[in-house]
Amino acid sequence: MALAPNAAYAADEQRWSALMVSAQAGDEADYRCLLGELSEVVTRYLSSRIGFHHYLDDCVQETLIAVHQARHTYDSNRKFRPWLFAIVRHKAIDALRKQKSQQSAIDNHPELEQHDAGAEQLENSILSGRLINSLSAPYREAITLTKFVGLSTSEAAAQLSISESALKVRIHRAITQLRRMMEADTL
Amino acid sequence: MSKHDAFIDALSSDLAPTGPPRNISRVALVWLVLSAAYVMVVGYLLGPIRPDALTQFLNEPRFALESLLGALAIAMAALCAFRAAIPGAHSKRLLVITSVLMLLWIAHYAVGIISPTLAPSMLGKREHCSWETWFYATPPAIAALILVRGLYPLQPARTAAGIGLAAGMIPALYMQFACMYEANHILEFHILPGIVVAALCFAVVACWTTWGSGLRPNRK
Repeated sequence: MALAPNAAYAADEQRWSALMVSAQAGDEADYRCLLGELSEVVTRYLSSRIGFHHYLDDCVQETLIAVHQARHTYDSNRKFRPWLFAIVRHKAIDALRKQKSQQSAIDNHPELEQHDAGAEQLENSILSGRLINSLSAPYREAITLTKFVGLSTSEAAAQLSISESALKVRIHRAITQLRRMMEADTL
Repeated sequence: MSKHDAFIDALSSDLAPTGPPRNISRVALVWLVLSAAYVMVVGYLLGPIRPDALTQFLNEPRFALESLLGALAIAMAALCAFRAAIPGAHSKRLLVITSVLMLLWIAHYAVGIISPTLAPSMLGKREHCSWETWFYATPPAIAALILVRGLYPLQPARTAAGIGLAAGMIPALYMQFACMYEANHILEFHILPGIVVAALCFAVVACWTTWGSGLRPNRK
């Protein structure tokens, strides 16, 4: 019988906490199991909020490395989710900030270049992210063109008919707004 | 095996036990008590406290309240800074309470320029109180940064600023008893150096994070 959502939520919380305590004691199997579950959870979380799959792979890996480096700070007297999602949010924003403007998503997905449908697929992928989608249009365009589509700052500024410095301000504000929305987001 | 599974395997193989985590509030409290003791002992060795300071503390309610408010603000700043080094342990409410207490404490001195808490006096003046504040704040700040480095601060520079503020304000509060009491003097030569310690900690860790290994160690 499937658990009710609240019961499943509490059961996950307890299981992850127990697995992490076991990992702190050096149990590799429990740790492997925990990382496997967390990678799915983090992927789902970011995919529903940011919604861009190339970005996600790197971000999930960065998050797992951070969880690994911070595992000694988890206190089983506290809840697991706030600990985990503080790391996830930080890594997601960090990865977004570091995403190089020149690194085209299309470069990394050559199949997208071959078809017009590819661009549409990329756009749909980006717009599936709830938080990206709830940014105001100027911020969403700025962040999408530079961080996801992979245009350089000058190219994106020309496309939006604004100066480069205005674009940089928009990107900075969009990232700040995204961070706030992620912090306010219920887990 | 997929690349992703291989990555998880690499992280989980040869897993070193980390042991149970330390209670961060207790760590903050121990650091605070030891730092305060250090400041009082070294401060006393380098010069006596103001002759009438303890009498004033016991007989002047506003002075006592001001001192206790300072002590509370510093304790909260230390707790806030140490908790910022644990993912998810830092709360906005704690930050707001700490900021309000700290601002109230400092604002009380600003009010003291117009309406002095104690009659302004040169009694007990220390020649180098500003430098002493710096000197006393440095070892506690370094000790706290080393402690925090063993944790996992998500915002290293901000965490360092909080530590610098707590460490800088301990001698600033001590000078309330050890040096002359005059609101302008306190703001300029006791409180300001404490704030500068916070700014310096922020700047050093921000540079270190940008160009060096950062406040966070690379654990395997």
